[in-house]
Order: sequence, then structure tokens, then C-alpha cells
Amino acid sequence: MILALAALLGAALTAAACYAAGAMLIDRLGIDLRRFERVPLAFTLGAACLHLAIFAILALQIAYWPVLTALLLCVIGSAVGMGSWALRGEPGEPFSLNLKRVCIPSFGIFTLLYFLHAWAPEISPDGSGYHLGYVVRELRAHGFERITTDMYATLSQGIEMLFVPAFAIGRHSAAALVHLAFLAALALAMVAYGRRIGKPWVGAAGALLTYASPVVGIDGSSAYNDVAVAAVAFSAFYWLEIWDESRDRMALIPIGLLAGYCYAAKYTAFVMVLFALGFVAWRARQVRPLVTVALFSSLMIAPWMLKNWIIVRNPIAPFGNTIFRNPYFHPMFEKDYSEDLRSYGVTDKRTLPLEVTIRGGKTQGILGLTFLAAPLAILALRNRQGRRLLAAGLCVGAPYLANIGTRFLIPPLPFVSMAMALAVGNSPPLLGALMIFHTASSWPAEMHHYTDKFVWGLDKMMFDQALRLIPQEQYLRTSADYAAARLVEATVPPGERILGLRGVPYAYCNREILSTYQSALSQTLIDFINASIIEDYQPTIVESFQFPERSARRFRVLQTATVSDAKAQWSVHELRFFDHGVEIPRRPEWRIEAWSNPWEVQLAFDNSLATRWRTWETVKPGDYLDVDFGREQPVDEVRLDTSPDYYEIRLQVEALDSDGKWVLVAHDPKAVLADHTNYSLRRAAIYEINARGIHYILVGDDNFVGEDFRDDPEAWGLTQVAAGKGILLYKVTQ
Amino acid sequence: MPAPYAPPEQRQPFENFAPYRIHRVVNMADGDAERSFIQDIGGSGGSWRWTGKRPEVRVFLRTNQMLHYVIDFAIVEATFKDTGPVTLSFFVNGHVLDRITYKASGSQHYEKAVPEDWVEAGKDATVGAEIDKVWISPGDHAALGFILTQIGLRQE
Repeated sequence: MILALAALLGAALTAAACYAAGAMLIDRLGIDLRRFERVPLAFTLGAACLHLAIFAILALQIAYWPVLTALLLCVIGSAVGMGSWALRGEPGEPFSLNLKRVCIPSFGIFTLLYFLHAWAPEISPDGSGYHLGYVVRELRAHGFERITTDMYATLSQGIEMLFVPAFAIGRHSAAALVHLAFLAALALAMVAYGRRIGKPWVGAAGALLTYASPVVGIDGSSAYNDVAVAAVAFSAFYWLEIWDESRDRMALIPIGLLAGYCYAAKYTAFVMVLFALGFVAWRARQVRPLVTVALFSSLMIAPWMLKNWIIVRNPIAPFGNTIFRNPYFHPMFEKDYSEDLRSYGVTDKRTLPLEVTIRGGKTQGILGLTFLAAPLAILALRNRQGRRLLAAGLCVGAPYLANIGTRFLIPPLPFVSMAMALAVGNSPPLLGALMIFHTASSWPAEMHHYTDKFVWGLDKMMFDQALRLIPQEQYLRTSADYAAARLVEATVPPGERILGLRGVPYAYCNREILSTYQSALSQTLIDFINASIIEDYQPTIVESFQFPERSARRFRVLQTATVSDAKAQWSVHELRFFDHGVEIPRRPEWRIEAWSNPWEVQLAFDNSLATRWRTWETVKPGDYLDVDFGREQPVDEVRLDTSPDYYEIRLQVEALDSDGKWVLVAHDPKAVLADHTNYSLRRAAIYEINARGIHYILVGDDNFVGEDFRDDPEAWGLTQVAAGKGILLYKVTQ
Repeated sequence: MPAPYAPPEQRQPFENFAPYRIHRVVNMADGDAERSFIQDIGGSGGSWRWTGKRPEVRVFLRTNQMLHYVIDFAIVEATFKDTGPVTLSFFVNGHVLDRITYKASGSQHYEKAVPEDWVEAGKDATVGAEIDKVWISPGDHAALGFILTQIGLRQE
């Protein structure tokens, strides 16, 4: 029960500090808000400000719980002291009795469902994975760590910054409750917007459409950030409306801060900055307001870009790796990752509307049956608010096709919901019927009648779990992923890094796992393993360039073809030079370089057939491997040990002449099959992994690599040290 | 662009290695051993399990070449006193590989080559053993066979 109370306390203090910070800023700016809009708008604005303070604490490496608690208490105390805590402003028209009759039960029942889920132990996939995984690490290190081995660590963490103090006080559930506070703020802001435009039924109906949407419910009551992004984006839109109405230049500051906070919360929400700038430019037709918005947006964006620039040399990591080249993320990862996010296994995109509204098995969650009628929102174009809502929704939703998971529709959902309600018109009976239908069809027990069997959504009220009547550990143990995390932690000594061909909930596992595609290092190491098993990746071909003996200080192998397959890479296991049939031994004074992927060039010169240099991006004319012998060196043959998993590639050998020009020496290599029957690629691969200080490998028991490990661990030089809960864990024995 | 690198430390080739051999022996100590159980193997964890009359496990094989049946088990003194000598039959996919009579209690290891046509590569195979006389526990009337440590197929 103490855990449950601590979670409530952590979340309550964090949420209160958000409101307090926002309320103080609003008062300081002298902006008059109506009473009903003060709480949600102050909350999201304060969240933006507070996130920067927590960022600073982490950057200063002083993230101890007393410091974080003191920050929250100081902010709350200051607001109380300054009189900003109190509700103020024009109260607005009270709700009609009929509106209350519909709203109170509908919002009430879903609020209870969500609250209990958020309060229960947190075990959501991404929540207990990377969203809280990094919060845990940051709190353990008392600040940011220099993490170059996980792309998720480079994403902006604007919402997760608020999870930090909440977690420090109340652990995992406190973070989920903070996210739930954003959902409440979003609903309140939408209701307030309806009242502001004189259409309270529209506001309430729009709010309920979003609030009761099944994917919003599960996401908003977990330690995710999509609902928070929606709340921040809608608040930015709301402030734009306030500014447009009042033309109070002070309102441009919250607009800039919130638009910038959208980026800080999630990269894809960056479009809100563009929307805000576009809206202000359109309405003001002056430069100064634009500068204000841009400046305050930058305040929120710059810290995250700077952090990435310092740590991984790429301000927009893990994307843009062909622009900001770095050794930590391969451009091919970016391509594969983006492709996966655009697919989710939905082969026929015409089925996507049905998938995200009522099926949800592939795109992980549903918006709800009511959203089949979302195209009706277009009718809202007949009035000004509708046009603006749809424009904002279109803008915020624009990045959706880059990631078609249902939850990536959450940020534009409030705009669409409001537009749908507006389309119906300000008709209480129709809107009331819509709200009742949506409530009924989105309730978990009803929803499962029309969704796919396995869909991400809430199941039931979790009284026992929330109140810890079922002990937290006992409940968490019902999750195989959690049990796997405990198994890993119990088996692997502290400080050891694990190469993971599958992940576990990092927020519950105090071990570093280098996971599959998440960094250049882990991709390269896993490529060693795959190349031991997959024949096409193995060095079964020797390409030999033979030519009359030629002396030069530098030679290079140049790729000249333009390939049609965007996945085509060039890879070289070993590059060797010969003279009169004798290999020229590699000497320390040699200097080797490559393009693309210059950082891994040594893999083609290490005398190991288990390792290979790859371009790790689409091969292109001009890619090369270059050797400077440090002196004139006679050469009459160049050999490449390589694999058959690339094609369309054309290679030639060039030498640097005395004028500093590259001269063609040979082309059209002779390819012969290599005989490596006595060479153990499996053992060599594990040797390389071990040599990089990684002594444990985690693999799913349904993975083909796991099958191979299990078949003959000795052939790999591995010993199985744990199995069960869907995982196999091996230790390097050599 | 990083500065050009020097060649790294040169690796020695991994020759004279143990050739790759498939090893699908279910060890009772494995945390995931129960996934392989088909019947007559006790449910509690640890490094050994009580069996019933005919314990069987399921293993997946990617080859049917040079496979050996492997089992490690023990005939318990307390049951042996009542049952006397027992005969164990060893099975692969329902084919009887062998029958052996044990005239004393204690730990036993048995292995024997499996004919290729008994196993289909790329499919599950069932591997089991059957004891002719079970011991009935006076307390709960459970029928106990022997103590099983590991059972499965291994490629030689």
C-alpha cells in the first residue's frame, strides 16, 4: 500500500508543480484567461517550463530525489505565495443539466478505468521499456549519461523529464499517473475550447470522443507520451486562438514555448512549430511576432539538439545520419527502421482506416468504432473554427504516414474529434446520442466484440492491482517480459553488458543490453553472428584483381556502379595485397580508410573472416577502401574475401601516381569460390564479441539464432546460463 | 571524417574447432525444460524430476544425420526395493530403440545411434522411455517410475 501511496504522491506533486509553474508564468505575462481554461492551459505550459528545469538538473548531474522534490515543492510554494495557485478569471456560463447528465457518467466511468490502470504497477511495453528505462538510468546516474549505443536514448524526452521527479518519489506508476494528468488536461482544454467558442456541447462531445477512444485510454494511462503530445499540441493551438482573439503579444510566448515543447516531447510533433509560425505569419503579417514564437520555440528545442550534438554528433539523432555522419548509427538502420514503421505488416494500405478504427491487431490499438465516421469532420469546414481545427489536425497528423501505428494518430485526434462534433452542429440531442454511442462502443467489454483478438487496449477495472491488494511483485511476475528481466538481472553480474537479440523491460533490469538494431555497434556485432549462420553473408567468394606489377604508395578499391536496390550494400571481409603470389604483411605504419562507413574500416583488415566492413547504407559510385602503405610498394594482385549478398556492384583497383592522381590499374576481378571448411565462423564471431568486452548474449527462444545456440553451444564457445520466460541467456566460455 | 586508421591486431584463424553438432537434450535444470514435456514428467523444478510410466519430450531437429539417443536417469533405491529389477524401453518417434533391464538401483547413462529414417529433418521428434514396473506411493497413490536428469537427441 505504501508503494501505491508513494505513486500518488509523486504524480500529484509533479502535476501540481506543472500547474503552479504555468499559472505563475501566465500571471507574470498578465494574460487574462477564463476560469475554466486556466487549469489545463497552465498545466501544459508549466509542464514545458518544468521540463527545462529538470533537464538542467540532469545536465548538472544533481538528480537526487531531495533535489527533485525540493524543485517541485519550491514551484508549488512560490505559486501559492504569489497567489497564482488560486483559480481566477471569468467563470463562464455553467453547464446545462442535460450536458451534466451525459458528461458525468461518461467521463466518470472512463476516468475510474484509466486511473486504476495508471495507478496499478506499470508494465506497458514501451513504458517499462525505453520511456522509463532511461528515467531509471538517469536517476541511477543522477544525470544524463553519455549513451551512444541506443537510438532511443537520443530521442527527445520532454515528457519523460516530468517522469523523473515523479519516479524518484513514487516509482513506475507515478510516471503513468503523470501521463494520465496530461489526458485530463487535454479533455479539460477541449471542453474549455467548446465553451470559449460558445458551443459547450461541441466541446464536451469532442473531448469525450478523444477521451474515451480505446487507444487514448491505454496510452494515456501508461508511461507513454503520445497523449501528452496531443495535450501540448492542442494547448498550443488554443493559445493561438487566444492570441488571435486578443492580439496580446504576450500570448506569443506560451505559443512559442508550447510549439517548441511539442518537438521536445516527440520529434514528429515538430510540425506544430511550423503550424504556429504559419498561423502567426498569416494573421499578423509582421516579422516581430514570428521572431518571438521562433525564439521561444528554440528555447525548448535547443537543449535536446545540443545534447545529441555533444553525445552523438548528430542534433537530430537517430535520424539524418547521412547529413550528420557519426559512428553511432548506420544510415541503413534509419532506412530499415522507417520502412518498418511505415508498414506494421499492413500490406494493403486501403485497409488502414478499418485497421486503426476497429481492428487494431497490426497497428496496435484502435481509435474506436465512432471514428469510422471521421470523414464527416469535413463538414466542419463550413465554419471558421472547423477550418482551423482541421488545418491544425492535418498539420499535426502529417507525419502519420511515417509511422502508421494507431497511437501515432493520437496527436491529431483532438482536432479531428472537435471537428466531428462541430460537423454534427450544436445540437444537444445529436451530440448527446453521439457521446452515449461512443461511450458504449469504446468500453472494453464492448470493444472486444469488434476488434481483432489481440489488440492493445484496456481490459477491466484493476482495483486489486492498483491498491496492491495483489502484491506488486506477484502481479508483475504474471508478465513474461518482467520475469525475463528479473532472470537476466539475477544471472548477469552488475556492470556486465549484454548483447541482446531481444529486449526486456529495461525499467526493471539494471543491466545494459545492446539491442538488435538500436546502434551501429549492436548491428555490427549481430551481423557477426548472422554471418556465421546465413550462407549468403559468409565469405565464400574471393574476388581477385591481377595485373602487371605496379609500385605505388596508395592503392584503393573503388565501387563505380549505381545500384537499383536501395538495400544493396557493399561488404568486404578482408582486403589483401599480394606480390608474386605472396601476401604483403600488414604493417602498423599502413593507414587505411573507407567511404562510406569510415569508422568500421578495420573490420576489413583484421584477418578475421567473421567480421566484415559494410557500407551500412545504399552502395553508391565513389565508395572505396583505401590503403596507404607509407612507402612505395610493388603489388601485382589485390584480393577481396567477400560474400554473395550483394550484386550490381562494379569494382576496380586504382593506384595513386606521383602527380597525386588516381590511375586505373585493374577491373573485372576474377571471382572464385573460397574454401573455409576448417574455419569456425561461429567461434570467431563470439571471439570478436568477447574481445569487445561483451560476455553475455540474450536471445529469444523462438529466434533462429537461439535455435542455433541451443543446438550446439560448444560450437559457438558459449554456455547456457539461464533459460525460461521466453529467453535464452548465454555466457562466453572461451 | 575520422583520421585514417592503422591496421588492427591480426586475428588467428579458428581452426581445429569442434564441428557443429546439434544437441537437443532436454536438461531438467533448464528453466524452459517444461516447454518440451509431453507426458509423465513431474512438474516441480530443480535438476531432476520424477517420471511416471512413460516420460516423453518433444525436440526439434534440423537434421536426421548421425543422431544419438541420450538419457541420464536414476533408479531410486526406495522404489527398487519394492519393484525389483526393472526394464526400460527407449523410444524415438514411437520406434523402440532398445530395451534394457536394470538389476540394481543407481544412476544410469544410456545412448545409442538412431536410424536416420526414424526422424524427419525440420520437424519435432518425440523422445521417451518406458519403465515396465511403476512404484505406487502409499501416501498419494502416485505412480512413480524413475528420476530423470536429461533426455534427448544429440548429433555425433
